[in-house]
Order: sequence, then C-alpha cells, then structure tokens
Amino acid sequence: MVTGRWTRRFDVVFTHAALAIFAAAALFPVLYTLMTSFKTGESVITSPPTFLPREWSLEGYQTVLESDMIRYYLPNTILNSVVSALIVVVLAALAAYTFSRYKFRGSRVLELGILAVMMIPGLTFVIPYYRMASDLDLLGSGQFIMAVYVAWGLPFAIWIIRSFIDSIPIELEEAALIDGANPLQALRLVVLPLAMPGLVAAFLLVFVDTWNEFLFAVVLLTGNARTATVGLYDFQSQFEIAYHVWTAACIVIMTPALIVFLALRKRFFEALLQGAVKG
Amino acid sequence: MAHIALSSSRSYDNRRAQPSYRRSVLLPLAFLLPTIVVLLILQVYPAIYAMFLSTTRLRRGVAEPMELRNYERLFQTPSFLDGLGHTATYALSFLFITVVVGMFLALLLNRRIRFTGFYLVILFIPWVLSDVVAGTMWRWLFQPQYGILQEWLYQVFPALDAVYTDQTGSMVIVILASAWQALAYTTILSLGALQTVPNEIIESAALDGANRFQRFFGIILPIIRPTLLVMILLVSIRAINSVGLIYATTGGGPGRATQTASIYLLITGWRQGEFGLGAAVSVVLLVVNIALTLFYLTLIGRKRE
Repeated sequence: MVTGRWTRRFDVVFTHAALAIFAAAALFPVLYTLMTSFKTGESVITSPPTFLPREWSLEGYQTVLESDMIRYYLPNTILNSVVSALIVVVLAALAAYTFSRYKFRGSRVLELGILAVMMIPGLTFVIPYYRMASDLDLLGSGQFIMAVYVAWGLPFAIWIIRSFIDSIPIELEEAALIDGANPLQALRLVVLPLAMPGLVAAFLLVFVDTWNEFLFAVVLLTGNARTATVGLYDFQSQFEIAYHVWTAACIVIMTPALIVFLALRKRFFEALLQGAVKG
Repeated sequence: MAHIALSSSRSYDNRRAQPSYRRSVLLPLAFLLPTIVVLLILQVYPAIYAMFLSTTRLRRGVAEPMELRNYERLFQTPSFLDGLGHTATYALSFLFITVVVGMFLALLLNRRIRFTGFYLVILFIPWVLSDVVAGTMWRWLFQPQYGILQEWLYQVFPALDAVYTDQTGSMVIVILASAWQALAYTTILSLGALQTVPNEIIESAALDGANRFQRFFGIILPIIRPTLLVMILLVSIRAINSVGLIYATTGGGPGRATQTASIYLLITGWRQGEFGLGAAVSVVLLVVNIALTLFYLTLIGRKRE
C-alpha cells in the first residue's frame, strides 16, 4: 500500500472521532429532551439551564398521564396506525401477488402508475382532503384519515411485499394447484406464509409512518379525535412554559417508533435505498 | 468487520409459460380492484380536485368559478412571493448541508473500520422521529430564556442573545433542524452509491499514486453521478414540500421570517379558509416539483449517452 502504518492509524482515529462527533450531534437534542422530561416544573424555568436535572422527577410524565394524551390522543394513534397498517397489508398482499404472478395487458403500466403516485407530495393534498372531508361531513373523525393513511401506505407496501413474493419459487404454488388447490388457497396456504417476513415489515413500516404523521392529522382532526402528534403540538400552547411536560410527551410518542426502527433497521435501510419512502 | 451489506435481493426466474389458470383476467382484476379504487379516490381524484379548487372561490358554501384570478392574486401577494424566496433559501441551504455532510459521513462509513453499523443506527434516530417531535425538541433547545443551546451560544457570542426570535436566526434554526433530521437519509443513499463502486478500481488508482481527493473527484464521483443526481432530486423535492417540521418549530414566525411557500399554503389555505388560494399554491408547488424532476431526469439521461 502507498499509505504508511502511521497514516493508516491516524486515519482510523480521525474516522472514529468524526463519526462520534456527528453521532453525538444526532443524539444531543434527543438526550436533552430526555433529561428535561425528568426535571421539575420549577427547575425547567430556571436560568441558566443545566443539561442534567438538579433533582430527578416524574412530574412531566404525571401531567402527560393525566392529560388527554393518554385518554384520547394515544389510543386514537394506536387505533389509526393498527387499522390502517392492517388494511394496507391485506390489500397490498393481494396486489403484490397479482403483479408478481400475473402478466396481463397493461399490468406493467398499472404497476408503474401506482409507484408514480408515490412521487406526488403530501402538501398537494392538504386542501382537497380538507374539502373532501368537510363535504362528506367526516371532518374531525378518524374514519377519513384512516382511509387517507391506507392510500398513502399502499404503494410502498405493494413494493416491499412484491420483492418478497418474487423470491418465492413459483413451483411451490404449482405443486399446490396440481394437488387441487384453487388459486386463492394457493395464495393463502403457500405464498403468504412464506412472504410473512415481508408482510410484517410492511405492516411495521406503515405503522411507524402513520404513528408519526402530523400534516394530515393537524388539518383533518379536531377535538377528541386528535392523534398524539397533534396533541403534542397543542401542548405547546396548552402547557405554555411547562417544558418538562412537552418533553415528556415527546419521549412517550417517540419510544414506540424507535423500538420498531431498532428491531427493523435493516429493512428500513433497504427501503430507503430503493428510494421508496415518500418524503 | 461490520461492513454493512445493504441490499439482499434474490429472485427466481418466474418468467415462464403461464399455466392455464394464469390466463384468467377475472382473478387479477378482483385482487387489484380494492387497491385501484382506493388510489383513484384518495390519490388521483384529490390531485385533480386541487387543480379544480384552484380556479374557484368558496362563497357561502358554494364554489364560485374564478378562472385564473387566484393565480393572478397569488403572484401579487407579497407574503406569497416572500414565501417563495424563503423556500429557495431554506431548500438550497438544506440541500447543500445534507448532501455535502451526508457524502462526507458516507465516505467515513465506507471505510473498513469497526462499529459502522452502530454509528449508522445512531445517526438514523432523528429520521425516525415525527416532524412535530423534532420541531418541539429544536424549539426547546433555542427557547429564548431557558433553551440550553441558546444559553451556550450566548456565553460564546453575547451578541446572539435571542436566536429564536431573530429573523435570520429563526431561519437558521429551521434549516439546522431539518438538516439534522434528514442527514441520515443522504448518508445512507450516498453509502449505497459508494458501495456500487468496485474496490479494484480505487485500489489500482491508489497504486498509480492518485491521492484521496483525486480518487474521489476523478474516479468515484463520475461513477456514482447518476445515483447522486437521483438523491439530490429526492432531497430537493423533500425540501420544497417540507412543512411539518417548520410548522412545529416556528409556525412560520417570527413575523413571516420562516414562512415558506408551503407554510403560506397551510396558513392561508387551511387556517384562514382561503381554499382557492391555498389550492393554487399547491398547484404552483406541484409544477415546481415536476419541472425539477424533468430537469434532473434530463441531466441524468444526458450523461448516460
């Protein structure tokens, strides 16, 4: 090699140092939020601020527990995310299977069309969704937004599940069909069990997206139908200087999404690399 | 050791003669119907509806035709024009930071060192946060009296005593927060691109005496250029349509200092109920997006010939 041993050693140290600095910068706002969430209401408005709490307290979390966050917003979020992710996975599995196994006139165009839909930014839909929901008298109800989340998760989920179904040898289904199964049974009993990791990944990725969604939720939801992200936004005015409450709410909302990410990180990276996540 | 394998696609050849049941048209149609219906109602129709709404004005619950007068009004409204300017400032800074720093981090992560998987996971945490969570965090970091970054900044530069309420300062906060959140995205896309470059090419260039910069700009960059352009396109689109994080961090303020065109859309079109005007903004932004996409696609296409 051209580079000497010492240069190489310096290189390794420099690389680790630089990466560690950026990792620390990525983590710092999250850690400071975590620390603030353990402060008391008094110490949080003491100047100058400290990084660590002077005394540790659960006051912020207590306030969150007694607020509408636990009563309405989090249950709504869980319901919206689970229901829409489930519907997405069922519809996407059928569509992905069809695209993987059937070639018919226009199937390629249709598939590309569904992927092209992912390129339209969410901002375009804010006003039309608001008008549609209010015309249907569904403004402020969970049903309309769940349908919206289904539509937003579908293209992405179809793409993920399809890559899984593509990797299942077609002979397995053909064997089942020769044994007298009908196509639906072949799908249900042979293909879907094998594609299960893909279905789970799609479910969790749609779940996280829906869990975190803010733009449509803030526009379309009111009152007790609000989700956790909208509730957190409202905390900014409701608990004006109670930063320990805001930050405790941040921690509560981000934890489930973080856990799913850590469990699924490889799929996450793959999905991003394929450019399939809607920005 | 922990060199990250980023893609694992295996697929069998399924393009063979189709058995008889596969010639049926009914089954695929039935399987695809729910998806097609959902997407038509909630993706295709609303996009067209936005264009229709942009030519109307709501009067006592009735949509009045306005032809193109919403657009005329829009381009005579200073706050919208300022918004476009803010979008440009925000998007260009955001693009520059995320692409340059993301590529730098990807080059580091692409070396044969330990713990790269660990660093990548940590860098990714901001990306997994909701816009409103990230916005709340940054609002708190720069809270004028009790924010810790504001306090540290003040101790080093006493002139910077109220960044959050400053016109320029608030824009800087919003750009930093957005870049912080999206950095992992450009890092992993750059890393994916770098991993497509064959090692032998780089090693032989090193043996020929090319230094690090020559290797990057002379060899690696030309190879990954198409992938990089796609990434820049995706990040630009993301920047132009960015709305949740800005709304949660500053709400467009102080005054209109961080009111980008997207925030203008939200405030005018939704909060003030000017649906026609808001829809017109979304059509303008959609046109900008499409124009950008076509521009990058021609750039990518030109080099390939």
